[in-house]
Amino acid sequence: MKTKRLAELSLLTAAALVVFIVELRLPDLSSVPGVKLGLANIFTVYAVYRFSARETFLMVLSRVLLGALFSSNFSAILYSLAGAMLCLAGMLLLRKVIPQRFMWLCSIIGAMLHNTGQMAVAVAQMRSLTPLMWYPKLIIAGCIAGLFTGLCAQHVVDRLTPGNKRKADKK
Amino acid sequence: MTKGVKICLAAVIVIFLAAAAAVILMSLRTGQHIAVIEQNGEIIYRIDLDKETDREFTVTSPDGGQNTICIKDGTICVSEADCPDKTCVNTGILRNEGTPIVCLPHKLIIRFADENGG
Repeated sequence: MKTKRLAELSLLTAAALVVFIVELRLPDLSSVPGVKLGLANIFTVYAVYRFSARETFLMVLSRVLLGALFSSNFSAILYSLAGAMLCLAGMLLLRKVIPQRFMWLCSIIGAMLHNTGQMAVAVAQMRSLTPLMWYPKLIIAGCIAGLFTGLCAQHVVDRLTPGNKRKADKK
Repeated sequence: MTKGVKICLAAVIVIFLAAAAAVILMSLRTGQHIAVIEQNGEIIYRIDLDKETDREFTVTSPDGGQNTICIKDGTICVSEADCPDKTCVNTGILRNEGTPIVCLPHKLIIRFADENGG
């Protein structure tokens, strides 16, 4: 059982990393830094509803650290770490309140928290409140991206949950 | 739908609408002409774009990063930078309050001055 869990988590981390790196190659969506789809979040949302808090935390942490290593963008690591951890903490708390059927809602709030964490780092690093000018835009982008990734994760979980009409294809 | 879901959903909608309102309000405020350049949280230049002659100059950050700032026809932009992400260059010219030009790696900000001069 333990080995199986470990393998599942590693697979998820690897898949999230691949998606993360592919997404880096896409052009920026906006002149506001931090606006992106965050496709790797699909795996985080999925893990939040399928694994324990500790397991999800380990998965996200290794994804962020390895992501920084593979993209060789270490100046961004503080931003992604703060964002990812705040997002994860929020979603882990919310999973008790929000049932699996409303996963997308949890993901939206997670995305907004992610952007809030990045905002906090930006304000601290720049020693200026000017980055707050982006905050409304980041919140809107977070809502849209969070909804999208949340729905993606929702569909994955629905298909993998036994007893659902559409059973999972052989995994 | 449980009560918790309803509360979360309502909160998300309220925050979304508030953010949308803020974006619209900020983009409506144009016509300012005093630009300030901040580095490490300190204002290093104040530029009146209406009076400034066209010129280019380079700002060097404490760790050696460089941004070339270009003033032309009453607009200001970063024309060149040696930062990894080039967000500051891609932002283009400074248009309104809601979109400051920021170079996160070099801790450089170009924005319009506040009403009270700061």
